[in-house]
Amino acid sequence: MEPNELGRFEAIVLPHLDAAYTLARYLTRHEHDAQDVVQDAYLRALKYFEGFRGTDGGDGRAWLLAIVRNTAFTWRRRYRPEATAAEFDEQLHSEAVADVHPEAALLGASARESLHQALDRLPPEFREVIVLRELQGLSYKEIGEVTGVPVGTVMSRLSRARSRLQRALYAEKEGR
Amino acid sequence: MTHSELELQLDAYLDGELASRDAREFETHLRECRDCARLHDARVALGAAIRAEVPALRAPDVLRARVRSALSSAAGPSVTRRPLPQGGRWLALAASVALVAVGSWRLGSNRAAGEALSEQVLTSHVRSLMPGHLTDVVSSDQHTVKPWFNGKLDFSPAVYDFAGRGYPLIGGRLDYIGGRPVAALVYGRRQHLINVFLWPATQGPVREPGETMRHGYHLLHWTTPEYIYWVVSDLGMAELREFAQLVREADSTASRLPATTRGLH
Repeated sequence: MEPNELGRFEAIVLPHLDAAYTLARYLTRHEHDAQDVVQDAYLRALKYFEGFRGTDGGDGRAWLLAIVRNTAFTWRRRYRPEATAAEFDEQLHSEAVADVHPEAALLGASARESLHQALDRLPPEFREVIVLRELQGLSYKEIGEVTGVPVGTVMSRLSRARSRLQRALYAEKEGR
Repeated sequence: MTHSELELQLDAYLDGELASRDAREFETHLRECRDCARLHDARVALGAAIRAEVPALRAPDVLRARVRSALSSAAGPSVTRRPLPQGGRWLALAASVALVAVGSWRLGSNRAAGEALSEQVLTSHVRSLMPGHLTDVVSSDQHTVKPWFNGKLDFSPAVYDFAGRGYPLIGGRLDYIGGRPVAALVYGRRQHLINVFLWPATQGPVREPGETMRHGYHLLHWTTPEYIYWVVSDLGMAELREFAQLVREADSTASRLPATTRGLH
């Protein structure tokens, strides 16, 4: 690789290490797996960087996060096959959550303790849209680029994911 | 519009993804529909809870070092020869230092043995950057790290904290170099990692620091009357020398103090 090309990589891709780690950490739910995924993703990014023509920092972030995301899913299939036993079913997982009573879904302080657990229990396809939107502040369009689905799908996944979190939190709260 | 469709609209509205005309229509609906208004409040609370309880994370220093290391080997030699940019991007600055001290080192000072040892030091350093391999005892307090080695080594390594000089102590671990267990101490430099290894000298001359470069890492090696030191790092040689000087000064101060306070400058 030419030095000026590496300079471009440093400027466009490297600043997003924290974002890459955050996504990998929540997707793998495992500290060491997340580190391996990020390292692997950076090596892939370097390899494919010549094909990347964006110059804007935001583009670099979505581009890198897409690689991190795909690396994490490949990683999970290869090293954690037990976790993929239940494949994601857009239809099944997108069923309307009409049984949440809006009033009951308001959060209490005690319910917040289980937010992490509720997030961990979400299918990764739901978890990633929450991380990308709520933690990284990506637009629907950018989330679509990262996850490789149309904006309409991003929209419905995000809404379902939030409803599930709300329902899970409500169930936790009721159980006490 | 069904409940589910309204929920979609609500989320898009809260995410600022509705076109302005749709957003105005939805606001009108919110004022008229109590269910949607409640769901709106619940969603706002959920968003606040997520931001408060599920943080965006900072990549650990060890990961920064690993990525930097992996990239420089993958990018090839034209990169490692490239001068460091002024103002220092973290990529160019990611650092790790390792100092090693072993007691009955019998490899002598011949060149081949020295090269074999520096290779072992470097291998150990790189291995320490793998997840979970950096430290056995994590503490920035030398009074915690030093006693941790009791009963694990046949010597008590000198442990210092140079936090005031920009090289904070991170922890320590046992390692194996030159055919014996050794002490490995880990220090940080800015947001980067420093690894330190050391072992007692048996005999032979006191040696001033010698410098080596291998695979893009810098190694410093010296011998005091008490210890053999190896320092390995991808930190620039100037900073590595500064760090080594701090260790040497601390050692020479400690050797003038009563034994009970040794290593606790």
